[in-house]
Amino acid sequence: MQTLHMQHEVFANTEDFGGPDIVAGPGRVSRPGVDAPYVNYELGKPYDEMFSRDGKARLPYAAMDQRLSTLPLEELNRRQQACEQSFLHQGITFTVYSDNRATERIIPTDLLPRIVTAKEWDRIERGLTQRIHALNLFLRDIYTDGRVLKDGVLPRSMIYGSKHYRREMRGLPVPHGAYVNICGSDLIRNEAGDFVVLEDNLRVPSGVSYMLANRDVARRAFPGVFRAMGVRPIEHYPLELLATLRSLTPFHEDVSIAILTPGVFNSAYFEHAFLARQMGVELVEGRDLLVNDNVVYTRTTSGLKRIDVIYRRIDDDFIDPLIFRSDSSLGVPGLFNAYRAGNVIIANALGTGVADDKAVYAYVPRLIRYYLAEEPILDNVETFLCREEKSLQHVLANLDKLVVKAVGESGGYGMLVGPHASQKERDEFAEKLKADPENYIAQPTIQLSTAPTFVGNGIEARHVDLRPFILHGAETKLVPGALTRVALKRGSLVVNSSQGGGSKDTWVLSQ
Amino acid sequence: MLSRVADSLYWMSRYIERAEHTARLIAVKLDSMVEQTQEDAAASWARVTQALTGEIGTPHADAFVITKRLAFDRDNENSMVASLALARDNARQVREALSNEVWENLNRLYLRLAPVTMDSIWVHTPARLFREALEEMHALEGVTYSTLSHGEGWYFLELGRHIERVQQLGRILDVHFSAAHNGSAAPKYFDWLVLLKFCTAFEPYTKQYTASIRPQKIAEFLLFDSEFPHSICFSVDRMTEALERVAPGAPPARRAAVERLAGRLKAAVDFGQVDELMSGGVAAFIADITKQCEQIHKALYSSYITYGAETVL
Repeated sequence: MQTLHMQHEVFANTEDFGGPDIVAGPGRVSRPGVDAPYVNYELGKPYDEMFSRDGKARLPYAAMDQRLSTLPLEELNRRQQACEQSFLHQGITFTVYSDNRATERIIPTDLLPRIVTAKEWDRIERGLTQRIHALNLFLRDIYTDGRVLKDGVLPRSMIYGSKHYRREMRGLPVPHGAYVNICGSDLIRNEAGDFVVLEDNLRVPSGVSYMLANRDVARRAFPGVFRAMGVRPIEHYPLELLATLRSLTPFHEDVSIAILTPGVFNSAYFEHAFLARQMGVELVEGRDLLVNDNVVYTRTTSGLKRIDVIYRRIDDDFIDPLIFRSDSSLGVPGLFNAYRAGNVIIANALGTGVADDKAVYAYVPRLIRYYLAEEPILDNVETFLCREEKSLQHVLANLDKLVVKAVGESGGYGMLVGPHASQKERDEFAEKLKADPENYIAQPTIQLSTAPTFVGNGIEARHVDLRPFILHGAETKLVPGALTRVALKRGSLVVNSSQGGGSKDTWVLSQ
Repeated sequence: MLSRVADSLYWMSRYIERAEHTARLIAVKLDSMVEQTQEDAAASWARVTQALTGEIGTPHADAFVITKRLAFDRDNENSMVASLALARDNARQVREALSNEVWENLNRLYLRLAPVTMDSIWVHTPARLFREALEEMHALEGVTYSTLSHGEGWYFLELGRHIERVQQLGRILDVHFSAAHNGSAAPKYFDWLVLLKFCTAFEPYTKQYTASIRPQKIAEFLLFDSEFPHSICFSVDRMTEALERVAPGAPPARRAAVERLAGRLKAAVDFGQVDELMSGGVAAFIADITKQCEQIHKALYSSYITYGAETVL
């Protein structure tokens, strides 16, 4: 009995359950850069999620500020360690190899939640719903009539020349016209405090399991504040995902669904297994599936069992060696033909990647106007299309302030980071731009907002982004939450977990 | 249940059983060796090594060296830590088929034991680590029993556990009874007592036969007692039951292949008589049981796991 009691204590002091100390009001006021635990908290040019420019905690963070200024650092440390232990035991880890030894590290998590107000969330929700509708209409259009190309809204070469365009998908109907069923868009908050879209991830976005795992540990770390603030629940995500997948077939209840994973060595394997468990569906690898007479089966102990819907977590290229990359052993020979015959639903549909590359991104606001006759609710990061004369002149005049990217490239190739380049490099790049303006876009250097992050000896500002998850089948749904990715190195803007990034819980408030 | 999942559950369970058996042999041996002469202890360590690895042990090898090899050596794929690593790898591949509690207990146990070095335990009381590991493995067994549905997956775990147990029990019995028969470093009274402890059988045995330790009674108890969980008979009963419960929808022809073998094994154990087995017969009997288990393993795979898809289309 004693042990059980002790474990509970690690997570929650009794005072944390809603005593007067967590109610916002006159009390100790902490100032960033001055008072513990914020001695090293820098307020710079970027928008800060917690503190306004004058160093006062913003209203939604008042209760958290009160709580944090009364918690000793050792206690924060204990709670942070409890979070990390929990991740380690759950197996939310990746493997690092050095000296012939494999060491397992947890995907870093920060226990301080990031808060999004009801008003902010309402705009995000409406904006992303609008965006996924437009993108799905766009995908249906380019895989059928190509009206958008005939009308000259964007150039044919951009679509038909894209390596993510799948000719095999032309004319294939998809349920509800929904090509993208699961989407995870990356948003950032600009200096003015507005959320803007940085990237649409329309292929196989991951991270939703970390959103749920972060919620588990953050709720345990701050139970009192959590309860007092009216945080909206997100635990129903797997149920909504299941409903979305079911809505893709006419059979609804009596439908056999499987998640297709590349296997245990994939970095997102934890998520694949997590979702399978939470939804109660099979987790399969390519080798568990076989196609006979254009029907997909899994091999079970009792015999073969038909599969109706596959939520695939494998890229297009690897899904069927007979149609796409023949050197892939992750996929299932014949799967595409079964799909084409209408005997199996694959979510997301194949060929969605064409709509989330850099070039098309720049056109999304126009696609929203074109298909929906609405103004975009969420803006893009300001993007200049050099193919347009006015933008080209602006870019040429401001090369020292802009990042210029070649649209067909990725991974930093064909790119000029204006502020860090020499005059000579800029002059040379200007010539290239003038010679082939259609091939380039330009964006201002991106600023990510900062949020309070526990760093062991205090709380400091770190850059964050926001990835909400959008589900789109017969209906469009967002659970009120997101993965907040955080760049754990001071000053860094890189939030990817492979490069020193971590994540934290996101509390969407009910009012 | 997916065939691949059944395969992983079966092996996960076998490896856990193997790790548990290894941990128990080492814990018992480390405790008992202090009461033996150096010569007797060496003979006893040699039997343990032979039972666990199949190697004929060098009689003067040091307890430190043997423990290191049996418990922590990653190159020895049967070592306690290597077995747990394999159990965990299998569990990771079927996380969706396990409860959180099962996975987290197994994961915690592995993460605790993986960094342990011989030097760190040898200076104090080395047996303690193995006793604690055993306690945690028993806890894992309890957690599995109480948090996982007793459906097909559970029965694949049961199959793995008991097929492995029969094999391990068979080997440890074999090294004792063969030596008793051919007289080379024949086990002494104390060794028979230790054999019971290797099988967690000391007190259950005395309840049945009082504290009079006699090889024939030990053979009878560990081979044929139907109530004691570490007897061959008990494990064979569990295996037979589990085989009836797995792959409920498989076609009768494929089921029959497995069930015929299971029935034959059960008959051999149910009608076995210990007085027919003494004077060298124990080893032959165990060899037969072990062989039958291997046949069941093969039939299990060809009927339910690796069957050709063309045979069922």
